[in-house]
Amino acid sequence: MSDLLRRLPVALAVLVALGLPVVLDGFWLQTGLFAMAAVVGAIGLTLLVGIAGQLSLGHAFFAALGAYAYAWSVGEVGDRAAGAGLPPILGLVLAGVVAAVAGALFSPISGRLRGIYLGLATIGLVFLARHLMVNLEALTGGFNGRAVEPFSVPGFSFSNDDPDYLAIAGVEFGGLHRLWYLFLVVVLLAAWLGRNVKDSRTGRALANVRDSEAAAAAMGIHVARAKATAFVISSAYAGVAGALMALAYGRIAPDLFGLQLSIDFLVMIVLGGLGSIAGAAAGAAFVVMLPLVLTQYSSELPFLAAPGSGGLDGATLARLLYGAAIIAVLLFLRGGLAGAAGRLRHRRSPPPPDTSGLPPAPPPSAAPASAAVPEPSHPGVPTRSKETTS
Amino acid sequence: MTYLLTQLANGLSYGLILGLIAVGFVIVFTSTGVLNFAHGSVLLAGAYLVAVLHDPIGFWAAAVVGIAGAALLAVLINAVLVRNLAEANPGTAAILMLGVDILLLTELTRRIGNRVLTIGSPWGADVFSFGGITLPMSRVIAAGLAIVVFALLWFLFARTGTGIAMRAAAADGDTASLMGIRLSRTGAAGWALAGALAAIAGIFLASFPAPGVAPTLAISAFAAIPAWVLGGFDSVVGAIVGGLIIGVVTALAVGYESELHFLGRGLGEVVPYAVMILVLLVRPSGLFGRKEAVRV
Amino acid sequence: MKHRTRTALALAGCVAVLAACSTEDPNASGGGGGGGGEGDVETGNGVTDDTITVGMLTDLSGPFAAGAAIQVTQTQAYYDQVNEDGGICGRDVEVQVQDHGYDPQRAVTLYRSMAPEVVALQQVLGGPTSAAVLPLAEADGLYLGGHGWAGVALQYENAQIPGTTYAIESANAIDYLVDELGLSEGAKVGVVYFVGDYGSDSLAGAQYAAGERGLEVVPQEITPRDTDLSAQASALQQAGVSAVILGAAPGQLASLAGVLAAQGLDVPIIGNTPTFGPSLLETPAGPALEQNFYTVTSIAPYSLDEPGVQAARELYEAAAPDGELGWEVPLATAQAELLSAALEGACEAGDLTPEGVVAAMRETSDLDTEGLYATPLDYTEVTEPPTRTVYVSRASADAEGGLEVLGTFEGPSAQSYTVG
Repeated sequence: MSDLLRRLPVALAVLVALGLPVVLDGFWLQTGLFAMAAVVGAIGLTLLVGIAGQLSLGHAFFAALGAYAYAWSVGEVGDRAAGAGLPPILGLVLAGVVAAVAGALFSPISGRLRGIYLGLATIGLVFLARHLMVNLEALTGGFNGRAVEPFSVPGFSFSNDDPDYLAIAGVEFGGLHRLWYLFLVVVLLAAWLGRNVKDSRTGRALANVRDSEAAAAAMGIHVARAKATAFVISSAYAGVAGALMALAYGRIAPDLFGLQLSIDFLVMIVLGGLGSIAGAAAGAAFVVMLPLVLTQYSSELPFLAAPGSGGLDGATLARLLYGAAIIAVLLFLRGGLAGAAGRLRHRRSPPPPDTSGLPPAPPPSAAPASAAVPEPSHPGVPTRSKETTS
Repeated sequence: MTYLLTQLANGLSYGLILGLIAVGFVIVFTSTGVLNFAHGSVLLAGAYLVAVLHDPIGFWAAAVVGIAGAALLAVLINAVLVRNLAEANPGTAAILMLGVDILLLTELTRRIGNRVLTIGSPWGADVFSFGGITLPMSRVIAAGLAIVVFALLWFLFARTGTGIAMRAAAADGDTASLMGIRLSRTGAAGWALAGALAAIAGIFLASFPAPGVAPTLAISAFAAIPAWVLGGFDSVVGAIVGGLIIGVVTALAVGYESELHFLGRGLGEVVPYAVMILVLLVRPSGLFGRKEAVRV
Repeated sequence: MKHRTRTALALAGCVAVLAACSTEDPNASGGGGGGGGEGDVETGNGVTDDTITVGMLTDLSGPFAAGAAIQVTQTQAYYDQVNEDGGICGRDVEVQVQDHGYDPQRAVTLYRSMAPEVVALQQVLGGPTSAAVLPLAEADGLYLGGHGWAGVALQYENAQIPGTTYAIESANAIDYLVDELGLSEGAKVGVVYFVGDYGSDSLAGAQYAAGERGLEVVPQEITPRDTDLSAQASALQQAGVSAVILGAAPGQLASLAGVLAAQGLDVPIIGNTPTFGPSLLETPAGPALEQNFYTVTSIAPYSLDEPGVQAARELYEAAAPDGELGWEVPLATAQAELLSAALEGACEAGDLTPEGVVAAMRETSDLDTEGLYATPLDYTEVTEPPTRTVYVSRASADAEGGLEVLGTFEGPSAQSYTVG
């Protein structure tokens, strides 16, 4: 029963997501595509940061790799930027694989550094990626980028053509509508896989490494390999997220994969609550949608000035709210959105140890990062016994 | 030969300014465990104060206000926000600083707009020539001042009670706390120092040959991150050396771009990070980092 | 058991959805679609009986906010006047403004919301943002103007480039250096440029022209983050350049001019259109700029004494008495005039739909702007810029907007440069 209750919100969310394209307009569909692409990347990052306690600011690099790997493998042979003419489904897989391989190549660093040190080291990757994207023109189209072939399976294209006209319940389903369902499938797959990774032997080993490397090593866990594994899995997620971004844009360029993207990924998972997959999804949706929705509807908010009039305009307000939201969550919401949701749900059970928001002072020493998140506050994560009973 | 020397001098003077910023990163990190992503906007805030105040109250007074203002801002960020984190760990603290950075930068960008605010320094666009090498006077002064600041820092950390307390707190906070060192005070001192250093760097980064204070100034603090990381996260000396390395390498990469063409255009932007990754591959704890930073 | 039920339910759901599916377009047989039928003018998105809506996707909170705000003000003022004079096609023109903040993701999303509501896009500002939106607008057959002067936009039929390209500006700059400023064969010219669609286009034009005129180009790539160009200036001095072409922004110009002067390198600096801003003359680099800076622009500088520019100035000074002055004012006026001409053309052709506006724009072969551009504009060839002539101006603290016009210019390599 409690199992059903726990799954109900997820099932409802999926149902709603399935029906939404019938009622949404282009703006919301496009927003949704960007949000879902971000959800995949955020899930990957929360596995790395939340479970393994590693920090990465290099996910824009892996997303870029995935995006360009997809664009290249699906691109037409002999086009302006090189392409291999492979089937798109293979391109999507390749996007994850290429990013994972790159993550593995980075393992001499990712296996030896931990926490925040790794985060700083990975900033380098973002700038390296930009240099490569701009200079390897034959593959990437240089600064101006390259077009991305739409996704398709034999006989059906996720674009405005083939079939040229498709309507469901009287609503014309164009490229955005069709992509919505593709993205939804990938997101669900990513969440399901992410949960399995979290509960698998690897996931538990990673959590051990996060909590204490020495203890983990004593239990026979190969710490460097575990950390490198987490990094590889996370990179693969970022690669797929990059491919989805490429599909949502229809055209990619180096500017889309800057440090800001890495930072946004990180903000998503911290707002959502480190280590929580549902939280990562919520955080991603919030971070992507806030600026888009605020600028779109700023003209309908009476207290906002018209853009360009010198007053407080929608875009500026969106930035300020974005910053304030980060600060507010970190100051007042232990465990992010997921933590808060978990506490709400457990209201009737014994009260959680701390809701007053009185934290201990930060550790004064240069203590290595250990993203110690209170474990019980993760919603939607079945315990081991439940997993074995179903 | 003169050309090489000119580029070296360019690089060294720029490197010393980077060092000022990188040392700020180190001090904040060792005193409170925070990766200060808002360092750039604190720097910008300091420079902005100087730019708007130099007209009414004169450059020197404005510089003092700017430096003090940046230090105060940094202390407030620490006292009001960092110390009230719901979960204190370096990861969340870093994200918190991102939030602070977004707020500060958005507001400062709105205030500055597209104007180029001059810093009003008395040395203006003067140049300094010696043995065929020409350097902007602001860079020569910056280099000299940076060296003086570094010497003062050494004195502070080696000879004064506050400095020794800060070092003790950085080395082992719990023990230092047991010995009666007030960690809140050493933390505040660290943030104040970092803010002041950032403002000094900001004044020189906005001086000729740069046109003045613009929002991009905040991003220039990011250029000090490779310097900090390759120096080794928790070493002041490392940050200074790292700054010099990055400064020189960048100047040479730009200066000899036509000879290095095979590596691609626009090397200046990527070279600092490439050097950082190479150093980390060989020495994961950086050049001067404590081994404790990396175990297993 | 549980699993089986679930699968069955899922299957049933799919069938239910499929039943509502259709691949037959009900509109396909019903003629033109859209609003249609209002008198003799066919209409579509963004046009009602009494209003025509055009969109501006611009940057009011990012790096180009100040210049973009001038353009928004002037565009509004322009259409207000048009509406006072009776509007276009018997309808008032309404401008819908959205702020993408120089973020491609926001630009794409806002485009999605704007596209069904406008008949044309007056402006999509910014390199990365317009690059992201252009292919989408092309697929929708939507007119897109005001996207800057990068040559890559010339591949799009729906893009109306407001003047000539950066490459042709720079080719003209090289020709001007040889023909008017006396550079001799074999001389070296430094080209300092932003990586990207703008700067790289500028470099391409300079390199082509240098090859034609027997000069040698010394390229130096920079990014918008570089505001201290000491190292680049030293490299240029070392290479012995006799002139510099700059494809960057005002901050870089101030630094480069200042450092070159400090090093005693007294050579002309010629900038592309976006390189100059009047506030530069108040920085320490001001004197150096007045001595050595030239700019080549296809849009007229603010101070030009021609009727079209004069009218633009009057309109702007009435709309924004304290506004900043600059080349954005004539530019915004010209862009609005171009779109108005296309709207009028579409109205006359009886097809005031997005596609009709693009078609009308492509039939414009001889548009006179009364001095806003140096020559009449011709948009009939998709891959050809509408003009190849530029205004050459010098920095001058006495002139309004900081630029004093020397004259118009069209050099031989600017004429022979092939785009793409």
